[in-house]
Amino acid sequence: MKTRPRYLPLIEAEVGMLLDAPVRLVNSGFLTFSLPAGHTLTQDNLNQLVAHRAEFIYVAEPDSRPDAQVAADAAHDAHRVMEIFAGADLSDPNIMALFDQVVQYRSA
Amino acid sequence: MKTVLTKDTVIERSRSLPAFPTIINKILTTLDDVEANLNLLAAEIQHDPVIAARVLSRANSAATRTRRLSTVRDIYAATSLIGVDMVREMVMICSLGNLVYGAVPAEMSSTFWQHSVAVGVCSEELALHTAARVSAPAALIAGLLHDIGQLWLYRFDVEAYHIAWKRALSDAIGIEEAEREQFGVDHSTIGVWLAEHWTLPAAIVASINYHHAPDAALDEPLVPLVHVAEVLSNALDLTGRNENRVTSLSSSACEKLGLIWDKNIHPLFGRMEARSRHANALFK
Repeated sequence: MKTRPRYLPLIEAEVGMLLDAPVRLVNSGFLTFSLPAGHTLTQDNLNQLVAHRAEFIYVAEPDSRPDAQVAADAAHDAHRVMEIFAGADLSDPNIMALFDQVVQYRSA
Repeated sequence: MKTVLTKDTVIERSRSLPAFPTIINKILTTLDDVEANLNLLAAEIQHDPVIAARVLSRANSAATRTRRLSTVRDIYAATSLIGVDMVREMVMICSLGNLVYGAVPAEMSSTFWQHSVAVGVCSEELALHTAARVSAPAALIAGLLHDIGQLWLYRFDVEAYHIAWKRALSDAIGIEEAEREQFGVDHSTIGVWLAEHWTLPAAIVASINYHHAPDAALDEPLVPLVHVAEVLSNALDLTGRNENRVTSLSSSACEKLGLIWDKNIHPLFGRMEARSRHANALFK
């Protein structure tokens, strides 16, 4: 099954979700808890994450959209980014760099 | 120009707004004393059943995640479960949200406040991401209040406010310019007058003053922070409001914060989106 990455507040995390990026919790400069990318969350993991006051996790969500819908959503997102930046001076390297990253982020 | 507003008029009319929550100044002055801060939060929550319900609801949601069986019923138990930082953030957002929702009708307050919350959490995330010399709670407050002058303008003259917005969008000019044409001053200046009247710290006053023109005050770390936070809030289309536009971004502000626009910035974008959605859910 296809997946897509998504940040979630811990409060929305569920058992069985797949981590798309490692979790590394640091307290006072010490690594206090970690989980690797690709790990599937268990109830114990959720308990530990709450106990360590984790706020967010990066998960790979199942993406059941048909290809046509994926393309339509991508086109819609790209159009909206263009609309938001319509009044910006894209010859300014700083704005152009931000614009590029927003486009890439939206198409991930 | 239709009207020329003065500081005296702004302060006089601000007296008809709901009172500025005193807890904000108290939190900001006791940030270094966790115990004092927690006691303040507990006292505030006990006096406000709506805030209390929201904090306990959030704590109980966390408790459900851990399959904890007993219900969380008091602020100290809630704090031990979700952390003092989270409780403080909720108290600050809810108490300022009460001011906003009590000041203007829902059709304005909802959109306005969602944007303010988005810029607040973006400011907080930027403070953590860039290791700027700014405390996260101060960054949150600065972001929440950056457009407070707009709220005042809306309450002062809703028709003139809409004319200014319409002109800014249709003629692709900055909203500050449209406001100056309509009211003689812009929302940043009005925000400064209000923030000074509420005796907020100078750093927060400066961030309100210069959030559209940060190059004039880059040495105050909150200034570039709130400027970039608002640009990112618009660029990421947080809250999905129609007015979200990026027209300028100060290179000097980005440089001051040490920001580099490459793919390593994507996790920051993700956290900003998730936190904005999560924080705004407090008011749904």
